[in-house]
Formats: sequence, C-alpha cells, structure tokens
Amino acid sequence: MIKALNLTKIYGKHVAIKNVNFQIDKGEIVGFLGPNGAGKTTTLNIITGYMSPSQGSVEIDGLDIIENSSAVKKKIGYLPDVPPLYMDMTVGEYLDFVYNIKKADISAKEKAINEIIETVKIGDVKNRLIKNLSKGYRQRVGIAQALVGNPEILILDEPTSGLDPVQIIEIRNLIKSIGENRTVFLSSHILSEIEAVCNRIIIINKGEIVASGTPLELRSHIEGSRKLQLKVKSDKSIIDDLLKISGVKNVSIINNAKQEEIEIDTIDIVVESEKGKDIREDVFMLAAEKRRPILMMVEQKFDLEDIFLQVTGKEENKTN
Amino acid sequence: MLAVFRRELKSYFTTPIGYVFMGVFLLISGIFFSLMNLLQNDGNYVNVLNTIVFIFLFLVPILTMRTLSEEKKNKTEQLLLTSPISIWDIVFGKFLASATLFFITLVITLIYPLIIKFNGYIAPSEVLCTYIGFFLIGCSFIAVGTFISSLTENQISSAIGTFGALLILWIMEWITQNVQSGIKSGLIFALILTALIVIIINSTVKNPYFSGVAGIIGLLIVFTVYFTKKSFFEGFIANFLNWMSVLTRFDSFSGGVFDVSSVVYYLSFIFVFLLLTVKSIDKKRWS
Repeated sequence: MIKALNLTKIYGKHVAIKNVNFQIDKGEIVGFLGPNGAGKTTTLNIITGYMSPSQGSVEIDGLDIIENSSAVKKKIGYLPDVPPLYMDMTVGEYLDFVYNIKKADISAKEKAINEIIETVKIGDVKNRLIKNLSKGYRQRVGIAQALVGNPEILILDEPTSGLDPVQIIEIRNLIKSIGENRTVFLSSHILSEIEAVCNRIIIINKGEIVASGTPLELRSHIEGSRKLQLKVKSDKSIIDDLLKISGVKNVSIINNAKQEEIEIDTIDIVVESEKGKDIREDVFMLAAEKRRPILMMVEQKFDLEDIFLQVTGKEENKTN
Repeated sequence: MLAVFRRELKSYFTTPIGYVFMGVFLLISGIFFSLMNLLQNDGNYVNVLNTIVFIFLFLVPILTMRTLSEEKKNKTEQLLLTSPISIWDIVFGKFLASATLFFITLVITLIYPLIIKFNGYIAPSEVLCTYIGFFLIGCSFIAVGTFISSLTENQISSAIGTFGALLILWIMEWITQNVQSGIKSGLIFALILTALIVIIINSTVKNPYFSGVAGIIGLLIVFTVYFTKKSFFEGFIANFLNWMSVLTRFDSFSGGVFDVSSVVYYLSFIFVFLLLTVKSIDKKRWS
C-alpha cells in the first residue's frame, strides 16, 4: 500500500532522513517510533506529498506520489503534528470545506460528514468556532478532517501529543476503531502508545530506520536467550542441579535484590536458557523432586523500552 | 478552486480585514467625492478615481498580507497541499477572493456617479472605462501582494514587503527619467532580462535542454537586433521600465479610452505574479 524507496531529505547541509526504506501493507496499523528530531515528521510529510524528497520515491498503491499526485492524495488522510484548522470557521463549515477540497462525492456530502462527526464524537461542538474548542476537541476535529473522503490510508503524526490521559485513551480507541478497515501509519515518540495501537513498528533514529517488525519479533531480535527469575527455598546446591537441565546455559545468583524482598533461607537466581527453549516445566519438576519449593517464577521479558533504547543507542543513559 | 475562493471570501468577513478594507476605501473615496464633486459643484467624477489611486498603496497590503502567510503560520498550508487540489487552484482561488472583495467595494462606490447623474451630466462610457482601469490596476497590485505573502509566514513582513513593492511600481515613471540611456547599458540590460527569462522558464519546465535552447534563441534575438538596429538599445532601459509601469497605463483608461493592449498588459501582469506565487510555493517543497 505504502512503499518508501531510498527516501533522503536534505535541508541545506542538514540530512534529515537518509535512505529510508519501508513497506506497509493493506490493513496494517504501523507505528513509526523515534526520539524527537529523528525524522518522523519529515518522512510523513514526504509520504503525504507535502514535501518532495531530495532523493528516492514514494509509491502509494503502485502510483508515484509526484507523478500522480492528485490521484494519490485522494487516497490519503493526513493529520499533521499541528492539526491544520481554520480558527475562524465552525467545525461544520470546516469539514464542509475539507470535503470540497478533497474532491469527494458531492452528492453524499451531508451523510458522509455526519458519519465522521459521529465516529469522532464531535456532534456537540459542530456549530462552535474552532478557536473556542479545547485542545482535545481540536485534535478530534483534526482526525475528522483526515477521515474526510473516506481515504484508504490514514497518516497520523503524533495524534495524542499534548492531551490529558483520559483524552489519550479516547483517541487511541478511536484510532483502533477507524483502523479496522484502513491502513494506518502513526508516528509517536511514546512507546506505550505505539504498543497499545499498532501491530507493527518501524523505529527511526537520526534519520535512519534502525529496526522494524512486530513487537514480538523485535523482542526476539534483541533477546539472545530466555531468562527465568526464580526464588527458591533452598541453598546454593540447587544451582548445580539446574545446570543439568538440557538447554540451560547459565545460572546466576541475584545479589542486588531489594532489602525488603530478601527472605530467610531462600535464594534468588536467574536461569538463562537457549533461545526458543521453554524450561519452566523442567525447572518445576526438578525442584519438586528435590523438595525445594519454588516461591516465585517469572520469565524476564524485554519490554519495548529496552528495544527502543538499545536500537537508538541509549542503553548507557538507562543504566546511569 | 471554488472551495478555496468561498472560504477565503468568507474569512474576510469573519476577521476584521474585510471590514477595514471596505470601510477605509469607502471613507477615503467618500471624502474625495465630497470635496471634489459635491462641495465644488463639479461633475468630473473621473478625477476622483484618478486621485484616489494612491489608496492602493496602503490598502492592498492590508488586503493581501495574510493571504498565504497565515496558511503557512497556522500550518493549514499542509491541509491544502496534501489535498488533491493543485497549487494553482489555491493561489487563484485566493487571488479571486481578494479581487472579489475589491470588486464589491467598487460596486458600492457606483453610488457616487449615480448621485452626479441625478443632479447633472456625467459621461457613462468615460466613467466605465476609468472603473475598468481602476479595477485592473487594483487587481495587479493584489497579485503582487499575493506573491509577497507567499514568501513569508509573518503578516507584518508581508504587508511591509507589499507596500515596498507597490511603492517601487509607483515611482517607476520617475525612475525611468533618471536611468542611463546608452546603447551599451541597453544591451547589458537586455542580456540580464534574457537571463531572467531563461531562469523563469527553467524553474517552470525543469528541463535544462529546453531552457538552454530558449536561452540561445534569446541571445540570437538580442545580438541580431544589436547588429542590425543599434538604435533600438538607446534608451532601452527607460522604454522597458516605462512599458512595465502599471500607473502609466491607467492614464489611457481615465482618458475614456478602452485600450485593449493595456487590458492584455494588466492580465499578463496578474498572470505572471500568480505564476511566481505558485512557483514560490512549489519551490519550498523541493528545498
């Protein structure tokens, strides 16, 4: 559906993005993640035809964005980082105007606009001037604007930035519901947001794509092995027994457990096993056989935060 | 294009700009009409229009200062440029809205000649011609203002820039009287003009071969004229600037002459500035 080929954008001497390549298939909700200034907005501006790339090309549904710009732009609904609103118009007038410039079917105008108003829940402010609306409502009107003309592709640049937690959850649910039958490309610098909404993630840093895949793929990509954290009522002799289980690579004692978590006669250990090998049952059976009760067993998972920090090269900051 | 036009025209009345423009225009024209016609018992209305041409200097910058600069500042430009309408539609729609507001204002001033008509004699054709010239000169200035507002996102810079540009057009006649008129300087000026035209062509068609050919043809013409009829370049700068002068052309209209060449001149002038506006918006996307 969206194909970015070797996109490069240079402002004067500053290289904003460099050789960006990715593909988004029909029906996907893809998150575009990266720290501030990584080149997210530049990439989105190029995909939507607002800017032209210095090098490379964008294909939407097989059509080049520059050569077939009018046809391609009909397929895209875009919410830029600042919603493009005319403050001197009412919500109704504004959507009517957007409907006209998107060259959508005039005969179905009223029905289509009413549907959009219902979807994004802005019916109660329909006749109010946009300048008098709260930020949350303005963002909704921005999303409504992107939905006008029923585009197959929605591109949303930081759709929840600056909103309060309740509004954020509302907008996320809204994106999920409108993304059910559309292709959505959504940028954000907030991980939890991307994880809550998207089924695939592309991570950009310093203008280059550094990772891409489903959250699961990204996790396994950086996990060299699986780690199991145990609290066992036992002495250190259990370590030797655990090492005998097939697939176990290493067993180490955790010394830096918090004071309040330390229990008498117990031992906190981490069992590292080969990638793709589930040893939980074997560990349980072994402990039962040796009559060493397991008080806690947790599989250590890398969260997206770890992935993000690792691929954007900021691990040091986290440990500091 | 119509959607942009309607929105823009309406926005003149949802913001103070439309009212300020119409109010000040009608106030000044009213004052001059009273002073020159009513109080003098004089029926020469054309004189009033001739005299109040100066208000364009102040009012056109107000009318056009936010046309495109505000779109850029409020980021609504992104909506327009990512929609399926062309840049030309945007620019022309906006220009047409400003021109329409100006036209409405002019229609209101028709009361003045009507007052004269009911109380004395007035030559309708003369007044009509002057009005056409007056409208065309106003539209030319609006086109300049539209272009300048596309260069900046600050309304004040846009207004001051437009004022400066209009002032230069205003004093063009005076400038022409003081420029050099030698053959050499005329030739150099013609070469500079050719280069400018080639640059404009190149930015339009983005084809270096085509522009190269156009450049060579231009040079051939310039040098052919130079070697066959040197006297052409004597006073060429002054003649050219005079030809460019927007105000000089208005004189023929106010004399009651409907000059087709001047109409074509004004329409071309408007077209060139709107084209420059489109190019300046388009160029920003590439830089």
